[in-house]
Amino acid sequence: MEMVAVGGASTEQRSWPGQYLIVQLQGEAFGLDISSVREIIAYIVPTQIPMMPDFVVGVINLRGQVVPVIDMARRFGRPTTQIHKRSCIIILDLQDGHSRQRLGVVVDAVNEVLEFTAEQIEAAPQFGAGLRTEFIRGMGKVAGSFMILLEMGRVLSLEEMSALSAVAAEADAIGAVDSGS
Amino acid sequence: MMDMDPQMAAALQTFFEESRDLLQDMESALLFMEEQGADLERINAVFRAAHTIKGSAGLFGLEEVVRFTHRLENLLDRIRSGSKMLTPSNITLLLSCGDHINDYLDRLASASPLDQHFLAEDLRLLAALQSALEEKSISADSVSKKGAAEPFSSGNALEVYAQDENPTGTDYEFPSENPVKTAANWHISLRFGPDTFRDGMDPLSFLRYLQQLGEITGLVTLTDALPALCVMDAETCYLGFEIGFRSVADKASILDVFDFVKDNSTIHVLPAHSQIAAYLKMIQQLPEADQHLGEILVAVGSLTSEELEKALALQEDTDQAGQHLPLGEILVDQQMVQEPVVHGALEKQQQQRESKNAERQMLRVRATDLDHLVDLVGELVIASAANRLFAGQEDLEPRLESATQVARLVEEIRDGALQLRMIDVAELFQRFPRVVRDTARTLNKDIRLEISGEGTELDKSMAEKISDPLMHLVRNAMDHGIEATEERLAAGKSAQGCIKLHARHDSGGIVLEVSDDGGGLNREKIRRKALEKELITAEQMLSDGEIYALIFAPGFSTADTISDISGRGVGMDVVRQNIESVRGRIEINSTPGQGTTMRIYLPLTLSIIDGFLVRLAQDTYVIPAEAVEECLEYPQTHGSIGYMELRDQPLPLLDLSTVFKKTVFTENRRNIVVVRHGMERIGVVVSGILGNQQTVIKPLGKLFERVPGVSAVTILGNGDVAPILDIPTLIQRHYAISAKSAPVH
Repeated sequence: MEMVAVGGASTEQRSWPGQYLIVQLQGEAFGLDISSVREIIAYIVPTQIPMMPDFVVGVINLRGQVVPVIDMARRFGRPTTQIHKRSCIIILDLQDGHSRQRLGVVVDAVNEVLEFTAEQIEAAPQFGAGLRTEFIRGMGKVAGSFMILLEMGRVLSLEEMSALSAVAAEADAIGAVDSGS
Repeated sequence: MMDMDPQMAAALQTFFEESRDLLQDMESALLFMEEQGADLERINAVFRAAHTIKGSAGLFGLEEVVRFTHRLENLLDRIRSGSKMLTPSNITLLLSCGDHINDYLDRLASASPLDQHFLAEDLRLLAALQSALEEKSISADSVSKKGAAEPFSSGNALEVYAQDENPTGTDYEFPSENPVKTAANWHISLRFGPDTFRDGMDPLSFLRYLQQLGEITGLVTLTDALPALCVMDAETCYLGFEIGFRSVADKASILDVFDFVKDNSTIHVLPAHSQIAAYLKMIQQLPEADQHLGEILVAVGSLTSEELEKALALQEDTDQAGQHLPLGEILVDQQMVQEPVVHGALEKQQQQRESKNAERQMLRVRATDLDHLVDLVGELVIASAANRLFAGQEDLEPRLESATQVARLVEEIRDGALQLRMIDVAELFQRFPRVVRDTARTLNKDIRLEISGEGTELDKSMAEKISDPLMHLVRNAMDHGIEATEERLAAGKSAQGCIKLHARHDSGGIVLEVSDDGGGLNREKIRRKALEKELITAEQMLSDGEIYALIFAPGFSTADTISDISGRGVGMDVVRQNIESVRGRIEINSTPGQGTTMRIYLPLTLSIIDGFLVRLAQDTYVIPAEAVEECLEYPQTHGSIGYMELRDQPLPLLDLSTVFKKTVFTENRRNIVVVRHGMERIGVVVSGILGNQQTVIKPLGKLFERVPGVSAVTILGNGDVAPILDIPTLIQRHYAISAKSAPVH
């Protein structure tokens, strides 16, 4: 499936000033609202859960708690993130309805924390960012250039990811039939 | 509802909980008596329940409850005193009253308004209580179905006197054994405890209440204990009473009046003009001067002056003999009281005290706190496993020893923590007598319920989840299982049907059985229906078990008529789903003409399972050990792909590496784990077997809920996460995929 902006009409005219954690992902910098970031840990190899879509890397044991880890690049429809020395996992707490969900995302590196004022945040462009518009909260202006500030609630929407998992599992079943045994 | 401070609100919550427990007690006592005949102890229990609810409700100013329970208590009181019979219709009425109070409490707790329906029921019950009070009761012949109306008073100490042939031949007057009793004279001696006022009791109210039982013929207030005004504490009770009392009530009922103060007060109830020795005993036990007391007794009219003289002379004699034997012994020696009587009375007291203590030793704990503790213990189990693993890597004997010690303790703590969540299966079963009774009436069938296996324990949350499916099975068995009376008689069975509920432990799990002695499942009917619904094909050859299992298919019902109770075909599939959601399974055994048994197998707990660890390439997976039947070595050659022969039976094979898309380097030795779910068996091909381990279940979040094949994960001793395989789903998927692929090949 090609990841292009779908129905960009829902762009809210709302800016989100505050601190953002700037992370590096396949050569591009993204901003994550720092209020949802819980901690940053060095990369550990997650345990794979079979029959999951490829953006779900697996689960890790975070001090006795089982936390799913997502490859954000795959979620954006980009190639799988390669693991190297500076790779790390960012643990996020996201509000999902009434419950809070803890998730980890793999990034290539963590750069810094930046403060954005309302004036420094522009609305998301309808196209051209190479990302689904709904994933973008806004464009942060830094030293004359723009970086994408992510709407993590949408990027890591459990409802959507869980639906995709079901599809993946179904595809697996069909795949098993095709492969013969 | 009124606003109240948090403390009051918490107390109210306790009141709700306690009242529900009391209502439950009341219901079981009533149902027991309906079956076995009335007995005084249970009538008293019912009365006490109503009385306690009334009292506590009064504390909270719940006038509605007080008003209603007061009326209820009136009827109970008459029944207790024997002037009304506990007829079946009265039992039904009392049960509805219990329901009504429960309903009212529920509405209070959820702050929902009292609607028309509630008020109508309220009026109906009050009217019914009133008419029950008014109607002549002596005509009521039998309480129990068996027709044996037992005398009400049994097991109270006084009655033992009456039953024994009294060798001293005294002409003591005892309350008659007839349900309709003649009035007897009693002497009541009361010394209220010093804390009576502080405990919120008023001696006067007890005396007023006493008058409801009979007539106070004489009363002297004792003020001997009253100290000089300057040292008197206004909040301390110094009062005592000597009362002459005439009543039809027996000793136990009179004592019950003082139930709330009996722990701290001295209370003596004696038949008047009778047991001089007993008076003597009482006089000696009381703090006031003997002579003075004796005079009071005469004044009250309980003793004649002659009798008093005799008593005091007797006391002197014993003192002169020089040996100060305990009074009880003297009395027995002189055959004034018979030994068994004393023993009986003592034992009785002891029992009451013990049961009281047992109640007090219970502690109400918030369920969330308990869950948190159990979660932490789960963590501890994992941490301890890791600890032992690392200790084993270092070659230090003492280190390993202490780690082993810790691990052993942790295991004990885990067992203890899990035990906290356990409840007696009797608690789960206690709803059923009522349900069976009511359902039997609706169905117009005569059905008896037999419950066995109390004492078997299971996890509270499991009990909650299994309660509804169990209820459904019982209703179903009553509706479809047990035949109509004519049919039963024609088949040479007793007219009364029987439903049995049984619980037992079985190899690390619990088995609950619902059996009926009805007609059994109709194999052909089920088959026909399944064909009709296209669940099976005509050429499919199915075993009995497979046919019976069809009734758990969605939308399946063989009932010809749809009744209120069951027959809509929603249900059995939900029953199965619910049971499987707690990792249980259900099996059916049925013999035509003799009945059906539904057997539910449940794991002991929801949070920890006995896991069977297997290896697939480099990863570890857990198979619930309960599903594992045996392990085999992968045969070097086997016939057709996807099957192997196991003791002349074909065993379907499921290669995990294929299902999970893992590249497994062709290993020389692979293993097969034979797993079973219900009737299906399948061989799971894995790279290696790692053995058994207790595993703490960690639920996977919402993200993974639609992933088949993995039910949860666990954390291993080394900190790695391992998926727990969902065997039922894997088997189903395997068959579904095989079915799809069949036409291709």
